[in-house]
Amino acid sequence: MSLIDYLDPLVAAVLLAGIYAAMSIGMTVIYGVMKIVNLAHAGFMMMGAYFAFELFERFHVHPVIGALLALPTFFLFGMAVYWLLVRWLPRSDQPTLSSLLLMFGFWLVLQNVALLIWGNEDQSILTPMTFSVIRFGPVSIATVRLVVFVLAVVSVVVLQIVLRRSWFGRAVRALIQNPYAAQITGVDDRRTAMLSFGVGIAFAGFAGSLLAMLYSFSPDFGRQFLLRSFVIIVLGGLESFSGVAIGALILALVETFSILFVQASYQPAISYGLLVVVLLVLPKGVAGLLEKKWRVA
Amino acid sequence: MENRFMRNRRWKAGLLFLAGVAGLFASPTQSAAQGGDTITIGVVLPISGREGKPGQYQKEGVELAIKQINDKGGLTIKGKKYHLKEAFYDDGSDSAKSASLAERVMSTDNATAVIGGYSTALGEAESVMPDRYKTPWLTPGAAATSIFSHGYQYVFGTLSPVLLLGSTTAEFLGYLVDQGKLKKGLKIAMAVENTDHGIDYVNGVQDWISKHPGYFTVVFNEKFELGGTDFSGLLQKVKAARADIFLSDAHLQDYITMQRQYLQSGMHHQVISYGARGPEEAARKALGDGINYIFAGIWWSDKLPYPQAQKFINDYKQFTGRAPDSWYAATAYDSMRILAQAIQQAGSTDKTKIRDALRKAELKDSILPGTVLKYGPNGQAGYPFVIVQNQPGGKVEIVYPKNAATGAPIAPTP
Repeated sequence: MSLIDYLDPLVAAVLLAGIYAAMSIGMTVIYGVMKIVNLAHAGFMMMGAYFAFELFERFHVHPVIGALLALPTFFLFGMAVYWLLVRWLPRSDQPTLSSLLLMFGFWLVLQNVALLIWGNEDQSILTPMTFSVIRFGPVSIATVRLVVFVLAVVSVVVLQIVLRRSWFGRAVRALIQNPYAAQITGVDDRRTAMLSFGVGIAFAGFAGSLLAMLYSFSPDFGRQFLLRSFVIIVLGGLESFSGVAIGALILALVETFSILFVQASYQPAISYGLLVVVLLVLPKGVAGLLEKKWRVA
Repeated sequence: MENRFMRNRRWKAGLLFLAGVAGLFASPTQSAAQGGDTITIGVVLPISGREGKPGQYQKEGVELAIKQINDKGGLTIKGKKYHLKEAFYDDGSDSAKSASLAERVMSTDNATAVIGGYSTALGEAESVMPDRYKTPWLTPGAAATSIFSHGYQYVFGTLSPVLLLGSTTAEFLGYLVDQGKLKKGLKIAMAVENTDHGIDYVNGVQDWISKHPGYFTVVFNEKFELGGTDFSGLLQKVKAARADIFLSDAHLQDYITMQRQYLQSGMHHQVISYGARGPEEAARKALGDGINYIFAGIWWSDKLPYPQAQKFINDYKQFTGRAPDSWYAATAYDSMRILAQAIQQAGSTDKTKIRDALRKAELKDSILPGTVLKYGPNGQAGYPFVIVQNQPGGKVEIVYPKNAATGAPIAPTP
């Protein structure tokens, strides 16, 4: 393979990292604030895909607009789910079995609701953009992947700004760092948790809508992305937002480049092998490593 | 108070969990027999999960045959009439579930025979049960030779071997060279699923190439996992191989995903094929004109000129309200018909006698290519494949063999 042959995968990996970051950041927000491993994340992504699909099929809304509309819609949906179900969970600063079961059960409910509404048939969104390719010299980039990447990166950056500059963001970060101290200083943990859950689900729905532009989907959609999200947030350090971006980039680079050297059939083993290695060597993820280096320096 | 509150929370979480889990377990469905004595035919196929669509078509094929047999009065065994009763289980495209449901239908339901195993992976899982329960098992959707190489005595396969699919595909490419549509010495890149199906396909292609030196060279050959969501890395390797022909062997879902990413990668090959997948309606719906010019080697086509095939198409349309999508329903339909014929020939519901009758059975009005369905010594059928091509305007033409062709192949891809 020539150097040019490595340029294509590099671009592909960067584009992939964008969508990986968008789909994982919602999970990090929820875990950070509430210590809930949102197993229903895949279900919300699947619902996001069908949301964009329905808007496209029924009202001819472009999937890009559909994805943007998914953000407020799923934010409200998330808050409703929180109010109806999640707020009843016992408070804990560690993930609990009841939260795992609740979210797993809710994922199954979402899957079965989707089966009832849309059936088992695979659906996809086909626009003139779907097969259009932009060429930069020897490198070709699928237009739809570029669009999805831009949307994903912009959304993650906006969320970062919100988390850094707003009262809500400061409350979220305070709850992640020290929930007890945050409450003493007047942070309303219930309200912040509800908003965080809404934000997390908004990003899951948004990511699902973006993924629907790239892949066909069925009620089972999202399972593999959920596993990837786990890898990414563990790589990123579980509660670190910038860590998610780094984790997404690492996973995308490892997945894309590893199969240039080994059989593609080993790709899942490489991704999950990476998860095992990180859990053993860097239990606090890349963010933990950087924090350590910073302190030493 | 605190304990009651906690119990309340746990109860709610538990209830929700159970609601979800309940959705997972599909209850077995039984088609109504029309009174009198019945023969239970077990059917274990996926109608949910990733293989749900082809599995649904196969289920419909079996049910159409059962309905037609029952409408004609059922089967006569020693002067006594028996109606067929279907005991159906959805395996959800899960291998472990497929095997356990096959076991259940053979043991608990005591089915006289079982039809099941759409896709090689699910078929392989089920195939260990028939000899254990001495129950004839016919698969209308698993074709890997590995299933039929264990010496099983109760296993029958209605699909011709995938090895033959591979060699027929290569033979067709050779035919295109002989026709002057392709040049000699072209390079082939192969990316196949990591199953016995994929391995057989590669072996079939390479077998033909080794026997016909000078026609083609394989410059890339790699496997991928079933149910992948991102094939971009693999396709980058295909691109780097700079081949002229791209051959894949994939199941429906992977075919759709891979072809979408293939088109997005901006690649172009003179010929492209996904093994036995190509003309499916789901692919047309998902990719539109993006599936044009793809070749597929399939076990049945609605373009076959046999009167019985045309009758099947009409009956299937009446039964389901839509035309058959690719080959799936046809092989299931003939599996049920040859089984019914064998039960009648056995003159008994004894499973071993039915097995013996299946070994000798010949379905002479088969709707499959060649019009005769019979099983070889290893239990697998061996009729020829037809090569079809998706052409502009939503057309699907048989392009090979020449004597069955309904249209000319368009190659190289424009």
